[in-house]
Amino acid sequence: MSDVNTSPVVELEDLRVRLGRREILHGITCRLGVSGTGKAIGLLGPNGAGKSTLILTLLGFLRPSAGRARILGLDCAHSMGDARSRIGYMPENDSFIGDMTAVGFVRQMAELSGLPAEAALEKAHQVLFHVGLGEARYRELRTYSLGMKQMAKLAQAIVHGPELVILDEPTNGLDPAARRRMLKLIAEMKNEQGMNVLVCSHLLRDIEQVCDEAVIMKDGAVVHHCNLEEERRSNRSFVELEVTGDDGNLRTALTEIDAEGVPEGLGRWRIVLPPGVQVDAIWSLAGRQNLLVRKLTHRRDTLEEIFLKAMGHLAHTPGESSVEAGQG
Amino acid sequence: MAVYKRGYRRYDGPLTGRWARFLVLPRYAWRRLYQQRLVLLLTMLAFVWPLLCAGFIYLTNHAELLQGLDRDFRQFIQVNGQFFSIFMYVQAGFAVFLAALAGPGLIAPDLANNALPLYFSRPLTRWSYALARLTVLMGMLSVVTWVPGLVLFALQVGLAGGAWFRANWTIGVGMVAGFLVWLLILSLVAMASSAYVKWRVVAAAISLAFFFILSGVGEMIDQVLRVTWGHIIDPAWAVNQVWCALLGVTPPEGPGAAASAWALAAMIVLLALVIERKLRPVEVVS
Repeated sequence: MSDVNTSPVVELEDLRVRLGRREILHGITCRLGVSGTGKAIGLLGPNGAGKSTLILTLLGFLRPSAGRARILGLDCAHSMGDARSRIGYMPENDSFIGDMTAVGFVRQMAELSGLPAEAALEKAHQVLFHVGLGEARYRELRTYSLGMKQMAKLAQAIVHGPELVILDEPTNGLDPAARRRMLKLIAEMKNEQGMNVLVCSHLLRDIEQVCDEAVIMKDGAVVHHCNLEEERRSNRSFVELEVTGDDGNLRTALTEIDAEGVPEGLGRWRIVLPPGVQVDAIWSLAGRQNLLVRKLTHRRDTLEEIFLKAMGHLAHTPGESSVEAGQG
Repeated sequence: MAVYKRGYRRYDGPLTGRWARFLVLPRYAWRRLYQQRLVLLLTMLAFVWPLLCAGFIYLTNHAELLQGLDRDFRQFIQVNGQFFSIFMYVQAGFAVFLAALAGPGLIAPDLANNALPLYFSRPLTRWSYALARLTVLMGMLSVVTWVPGLVLFALQVGLAGGAWFRANWTIGVGMVAGFLVWLLILSLVAMASSAYVKWRVVAAAISLAFFFILSGVGEMIDQVLRVTWGHIIDPAWAVNQVWCALLGVTPPEGPGAAASAWALAAMIVLLALVIERKLRPVEVVS
């Protein structure tokens, strides 16, 4: 049992998945998270990257054509019966039973996960209040708005108190307030309930806000795996700079303030500032180099840098060596 | 403390066993089915014939009440295999309509609302889901078929005595077995139409049409080719052949009970495969 508790949340060994004649996942190998630690893993990638296929394989819906996938230490192809009672899944698309009330639906799902009838009813009420559907819990699900349906799907995914919750695009179709609420609930799930969460999304901000680890996928392969906690701790900030004038010496000049910069042509630069250095330092530096600043954007969106690099949109990410070093 | 004040906490209590989990789907489905007035009405109507049959059994076992009747007629109205086969024909008819009414509501809504991934992400396999849905229909149809049949059989045994039971126990066994075969066919047809057609009314029409069309096609084969085996593709006819063999009643002309049983078995396998193809958490388009 202790072995299971310290096992990775997800472990993939040369995982290959075919749909028809097409190979969708091309030999993925990685270990994500540690079970029982209450951490969130983000699965990022553009459409068609293979995120949903990976999730469906982890749930045992698709069989690997080669390699192995383990979830909470259990083989996805052979031991899913045991694993599924420890997993909660929130699908991307509408999934519900239309002519049931929310409380009936969530209760049935809880009972299917193995809760006794009375406990299932109690937990269904609790979880519906928790996700903000308390007042609407006796309404039929087909009368719910899109945002309410998302919350009902989240409720059914966590009603049985799973160790791992898999959320496929949880903020899809939500207005800003509902999105904030959803992200807050996800953060509470890991911080207060100790659940491991696997979030699949194409929204970088969502992943950056709630996840501790991120995996970036492209064309059926993992192209980057980073520890966002380390990234946040490094407290680096990024600057997008656009100048007019001779910027040939700017890279050298940046080392004066321990910053790193990458020219992108036509006077555009991406610069990473070390902790404690304010953006004002760039103004002064540009002034000393006789450069006219046309644009200066200060960002802390580190994941976007990593994502763009992984997608091949950036030739080089400033501070790359420190990112890699922070991966553990 | 009120539930809304308690806040959400992860459940860490004991879990139920495999069978309790399996029965969750039938429990919820039965509750929803019997909330439909038409299903309830048809179920109640289906008890009229068994009640009349019970009256008939009572009469045949009280000779003093039949004194005024013709001797030949008294010999004709006996409780035997023929009597139970007539009982079965009528109840089987009710079962067809009940299955067509209740069956489409079992799988079609789950497919229409994309609920299968939610079920299959829990400790529930495709086969146990299908078996649970089958249990719903079989259980519901049993209430109007072999259960009242068995009650009638017990009534006859009670009134006629042990000697009648020793001479006719095969009728009881045959009736239950015959009904179970028929219910299995009905349930699988209803489930298959429900799995392929999302509109309940159309699914109900298809599951009814299945029997009429195959009956018509069987008749056509017989007439066109001047043969007698065409009917074997008609499940109602094939089941009747099996019932006649089980109850010891003279069967209609055509292929025997063994051939009919094989035809039914093939039909069951085909229907199971049809359902298996559709009940998937994700549809893969090649």
